[in-house]
Amino acid sequence: MRKVLVISITLAGLCAILLTNLHAQGRGDGRGANSQPGRGDGTETNNRQGVLTDNGGVRYINPGSPTVPDSEVNSQPIPRLPDGHVDLTGPWVGGGSNGDIERDGGLKPGELPLLPWAKELRDRRLSKDEPYTACLPMSVPRVNPYPWKFAFSYTSKGLSHIYVLHETGDAGAHRVVYMDGRKHPDDLIPSWWGHSIGRWEGDTLVIDTVGYNDKFWFDSRGTPHTEKLPTIERWTRLNYGRIVNEFTLEDPGALSKPVQLKFTGRLLRPNLKTGGGELMEFICLEDNEYGAAAQIKVGTGTSNK
Amino acid sequence: MKRKLGVVVIALGLLSVSVPVLAHHGFDTEYDAKKKVKLTGVVTEVAWSNPHMRIYIDVTGPDGKVTNWNMELTSPNTIRRQGWGPTDLKAGDKVVFEGFGGKVVESRGSLQTIMKVSDMKPLFGPGGPDAAQAQ
Repeated sequence: MRKVLVISITLAGLCAILLTNLHAQGRGDGRGANSQPGRGDGTETNNRQGVLTDNGGVRYINPGSPTVPDSEVNSQPIPRLPDGHVDLTGPWVGGGSNGDIERDGGLKPGELPLLPWAKELRDRRLSKDEPYTACLPMSVPRVNPYPWKFAFSYTSKGLSHIYVLHETGDAGAHRVVYMDGRKHPDDLIPSWWGHSIGRWEGDTLVIDTVGYNDKFWFDSRGTPHTEKLPTIERWTRLNYGRIVNEFTLEDPGALSKPVQLKFTGRLLRPNLKTGGGELMEFICLEDNEYGAAAQIKVGTGTSNK
Repeated sequence: MKRKLGVVVIALGLLSVSVPVLAHHGFDTEYDAKKKVKLTGVVTEVAWSNPHMRIYIDVTGPDGKVTNWNMELTSPNTIRRQGWGPTDLKAGDKVVFEGFGGKVVESRGSLQTIMKVSDMKPLFGPGGPDAAQAQ
């Protein structure tokens, strides 16, 4: 009887893990959904086997960016800036989505309230067409498995700007968040990063952005948006090792209602001999041979048509 | 019973390994999971290039013809942070490697494992020689 129980529990466990992995791996047909999984939460860096897998269990050499493990997230106090605010600098790994904003943001399949045209477009998009593969910016709230950081810029008037630096080099070198109290201009030309103004609410950094173009994808699945998109990010450092991005997505052009998503970022390990705690150089255009093995042109999907 | 549990633990471990991701793009756009290769050759170049590293390897076929394989890894930053550097693999090293061929150009592949024949230790995974607590 005990033997039967053990086998039953084992089989149930195997099924649960298998289902989870199938969800993470996607369809494996290269047609958008999860074909570039990347949960964006940095947990892939816990992999110790030396390889990670992509669709259908195919393996690559990709050990991930080393981050502070769960056991050490409270090993040090949360640091503070000279002006008393919580230091959100990082560098962080994760804190957004890469493969699927719906899944990574905490929604169940189908819960992202896409309008019919947007859902149809997402389902039709091919992963090879995503603009990022041609080294164009990922924009908000997308992140890849490489680190990024907030850079706080002080002048004689105090904190005037925060720059968001991604280790993707020319694929969107920096994003500016104005902290000097200015408003959004009313004559914005749509751009890849939009126009961001920030403020502190206690220890939470709130970033309000408008003026995005509609050229970038929210994820490699191809989730689209329009130029009507505003976003609100609420960044809170939970402890030494983790940061949370509570993300409000509102796009009357592509969504039937606003939606609330949540992402977690992990602190890059500072105690490494090579690249510890710092961003490194990354020049996406140097030798981007993506597409050559299949002799296809990539990254052309910058239109909502 | 212990042995059975051991098998189960190993099975669970293998299943739970399937974590993302190649950072810059998906696998199946370019590579063919049915074109699994395991080859021996001589490294002609280790390119610490962006956005992804590439290792070029001369492989001599049964007919004596030499093909230069172009095998892709992830970004050089990711590999560097795990403690690997330019002295760990160099042109002239004899290697055994496994991976998957390109959909159209077969010798443009994705690299799964690579080891120098001299020591048969896997290269470019977590915890390289200068890792300093990387894990």
